[in-house]
Amino acid sequence: MTANHNELLSALVDGELQGKELELALNLIHTNDDARSQWQRFQRTSDIMHGHSLSLDNIDLTTLLSQRLSQEPIYSSASDDKTAKIFTFTKPIWKQAASLAVAASIGALAVVGVMNKPENQLIPITTQVAAVETTAAPIITAQNSKRWTVSEQDVEHRLDTYLVDHNEYTGASGVFSYARVVSYDEGQ
Amino acid sequence: MSVDLELVQRVQAGDKKAFDVLIMKYQQRIVHVITGFVHDPVEALDVAQEAFIKAYRAIPNFRGDSAFYTWLYRIAINTAKNHLTARSRRPPAVDVDAMDATNYYDAAELKEFETPESSLATDELQMVIHQAIESLPEDTATAIKLRELDGMSYEEIAQVMDCPIGTVRSRIFRARESIEQQIQETMNEGEQQ
Repeated sequence: MTANHNELLSALVDGELQGKELELALNLIHTNDDARSQWQRFQRTSDIMHGHSLSLDNIDLTTLLSQRLSQEPIYSSASDDKTAKIFTFTKPIWKQAASLAVAASIGALAVVGVMNKPENQLIPITTQVAAVETTAAPIITAQNSKRWTVSEQDVEHRLDTYLVDHNEYTGASGVFSYARVVSYDEGQ
Repeated sequence: MSVDLELVQRVQAGDKKAFDVLIMKYQQRIVHVITGFVHDPVEALDVAQEAFIKAYRAIPNFRGDSAFYTWLYRIAINTAKNHLTARSRRPPAVDVDAMDATNYYDAAELKEFETPESSLATDELQMVIHQAIESLPEDTATAIKLRELDGMSYEEIAQVMDCPIGTVRSRIFRARESIEQQIQETMNEGEQQ
């Protein structure tokens, strides 16, 4: 223990140490019994001067508490790290950026493609009718309008009859039944 | 950053030894405060240990919104009050506000709890310290008075005394060493009698 060390311990009592000096003083207290005793004496003198101590008795709670404290957990900043990991990139940043760029390019191409496509580019109705004629089964298709039509009059008539019967005999009256009839065809 | 906060952060990061330093730094004051509640010195030591254990368990939640000692002080008086309640003894009506805990002169609030013997010992100690300071060279005496009685920082003392901070540190150390020596002599005399 040198005078310089004692001076450090005295400054530690006053909380006037920082950085390497603080590190050195704490290391002295932890590793050198003389330094530890000296620091406690300085601390006690300061306490007496402030009226914080009633007697000259040396109190050493660290010895009394050592066993109990050894049973207490050692803290770590792991809980903080967990929060931090949520925002931590697991892959290198350049790989993340490349993936993002590819995804953005594909997205942009899709958007541009949809925007350039002509409106109502559905199959022309004539083509559809031709297709209907070649098959026996009735086909329901979409026209330029948003309504659905049935290509065969006979089938359309039967469907209308079923629909009207259904609405009349269903037993459920009210807005929805009426709405179904009306919405199918204004003429019904 | 204050030394206390630095130590607290070390404890929070897993350095248990840093908590030992905090105990050593504040044990006298905490025992003193608790003695004001429980009176019996041996009992006060037990309660103080309990308070430090509670503080260790609560230290992960300490964020530095208040000074560490103010926080520790609150834990200590609550532990003392709980201790008295558990033993069906009434806590003292006079309570010291936690904000006063950092004040150098808060001890006066607890004077009424001192026994005549402890009061005599305190008076004797104060006299020894006063004599020790008076026997110091003027610069050294001024430095320690400004630090311990006026609570000035080294920087403030350096400005007042118009000298480098290193000189202030050295003067305060020499003053402490001299006062400590006087106290030791008094203790030795007491043991011989």
